[in-house]
Amino acid sequence: MLPAEPGGAASAARRAWYALYVLIVVGFGAAIYWAAQRVDYSWHWERMPQYIVSFDGEEVLAPFDGFASVDEAGHRIRVQALRTAETATFDEFDRIVAGDGDLVFEGDVLAVRAGIAPGPLAWGLWLTLKLSLLALLFSLLLGLVAGLGRVVDNPAARALAATYVEIVRGTPLLVQIFIFYFFVGTVLNLSAFTAGVAALAVFTGAYVAEIVRAGIEAVPRGQMEAARSLGMGYAQAMRHVVLPQALRRSLPPLAGQFINLIKDSSLVSVMALTDLTKAGREVVSSTFSPFEVWFTVAAMYLLMTGALSLWVRRLERRLAHD
Amino acid sequence: MTEPDAKTEALIRVRGVGKTYGNGVVALRDVSLEIDRGEVICIVGPSGSGKSTLLRTLNALESISGGEIEVLGQNPHARRTDLNRLRARVGMVFQSFNLFPHLSVLDNLTLAPRLILKLTAAAARERAEQLLQKVGLGDKAQSLPAQLSGGQQQRVAIARALAMQPEIMLFDEPTSALDPEKVNEVLDVMRALADEGMTMCVVTHEMGFARAVADRVVFMEAGAIAHVDRPDAFFGADCPNPRLRAFLGQVLHN
Repeated sequence: MLPAEPGGAASAARRAWYALYVLIVVGFGAAIYWAAQRVDYSWHWERMPQYIVSFDGEEVLAPFDGFASVDEAGHRIRVQALRTAETATFDEFDRIVAGDGDLVFEGDVLAVRAGIAPGPLAWGLWLTLKLSLLALLFSLLLGLVAGLGRVVDNPAARALAATYVEIVRGTPLLVQIFIFYFFVGTVLNLSAFTAGVAALAVFTGAYVAEIVRAGIEAVPRGQMEAARSLGMGYAQAMRHVVLPQALRRSLPPLAGQFINLIKDSSLVSVMALTDLTKAGREVVSSTFSPFEVWFTVAAMYLLMTGALSLWVRRLERRLAHD
Repeated sequence: MTEPDAKTEALIRVRGVGKTYGNGVVALRDVSLEIDRGEVICIVGPSGSGKSTLLRTLNALESISGGEIEVLGQNPHARRTDLNRLRARVGMVFQSFNLFPHLSVLDNLTLAPRLILKLTAAAARERAEQLLQKVGLGDKAQSLPAQLSGGQQQRVAIARALAMQPEIMLFDEPTSALDPEKVNEVLDVMRALADEGMTMCVVTHEMGFARAVADRVVFMEAGAIAHVDRPDAFFGADCPNPRLRAFLGQVLHN
């Protein structure tokens, strides 16, 4: 914090610069608005909220093909499977859609439960978060191993780690995702979600490896020497002395890499995965409102990355203080 | 341990050791030296003369190109030697302290004894607290290294090395990174250690310490040992080595 200066001239100049900043931002906003008015486009912002939070309620779906029967009071639906002896009963709903004796197929709406339900964009956001978190976890493991591989003496480990990092950093993520989806996914019979997590983890792991390597190399050589001079083996010295210091230094760049991971995860929408971006595309095709949808999707990404970078900044400040 | 060394036998033997870097620079040439149990050796000489390199070859932090080294009856440069076990018996103190900055003073002292000597937490802690008392830092156990002055950090580093109960202590310019007024608190600890009979090999620029504490003083120049003598003769006016006289004239007048 700057001390409150007696003159106030400096703070006046500061305010003037902030005013200029606001002016430029408003100017940009006005330009965008003017440009939007020039094209023949009818804006329907009012349609957007329902795609994030739906008040229509949650649909109760038929679990298999069969005949539906509804009791007299209309409080219970029973589905008798067509080909097997299976039955299913539902009694928590607010509005019945199916009629007594209807032939229903798997996925048909039987009834609607009132209340608030997440819309497609919220579901997409959730999938993006899940995908990013899992990929983060595995990329940390992978990156730690590969980063260590780059600093150890063993030539095979060094070459392996270097090859991994170079291949991943030298090819586009989109191409890697296609390879994981079509080749690795097919060979190992992975689900789209698993393939997506794997592709993102392998991609991010290479960058994590470089962050870990830089962190280890930033620890003074004397630390390893002091540990070894006490009789610790290489692995012991690495684990108890070097890595704790290296990882602490790496925390801010690692958090930054996680922000990238969230953004990069939008590319998995090319697989059959309904992440936030894919959900956006689906909403566009059902509303014909691409402008509003993409602005909304961008804002939702910004919400995630913004919250993270705020947290990173606090983390950096705290680490700087110790 | 039942070691073959008798009371008079050398704990460190260096025979004809040379070291040449890949770029052809010669760091050590034909160095021979023996250090007996309980002896305090000070190594002095101009910077770049190979003093630190020689010291670091003793626990194999630095490799050698030729010759033989024997420490506590073992060759630290032989593939067969359990180097970690040997290093655990040889304490080392560095110019830049090299305390572990992420650990408290106490944890700095207990980490290696717990990992290597398999001491229990309580036993390691008790040993550490005794050593901290001994170096005059009994109240700093919970401090982080960064909260201590240079002199205090170096005393912690000495205590950390002692926590392994080594048979030999190596000091690599232990006071060179210190403010002048902090030098004596470290030298006092080293002097007390020498008085207890610890075998010590000290690379230093502190001629006063070498004169008062060393049993023998080694003068190194251009990677070779140029002169070895007892301190009174070494620092005496009738020293036969003209280059040593020139060196001493320079450092003692500053």
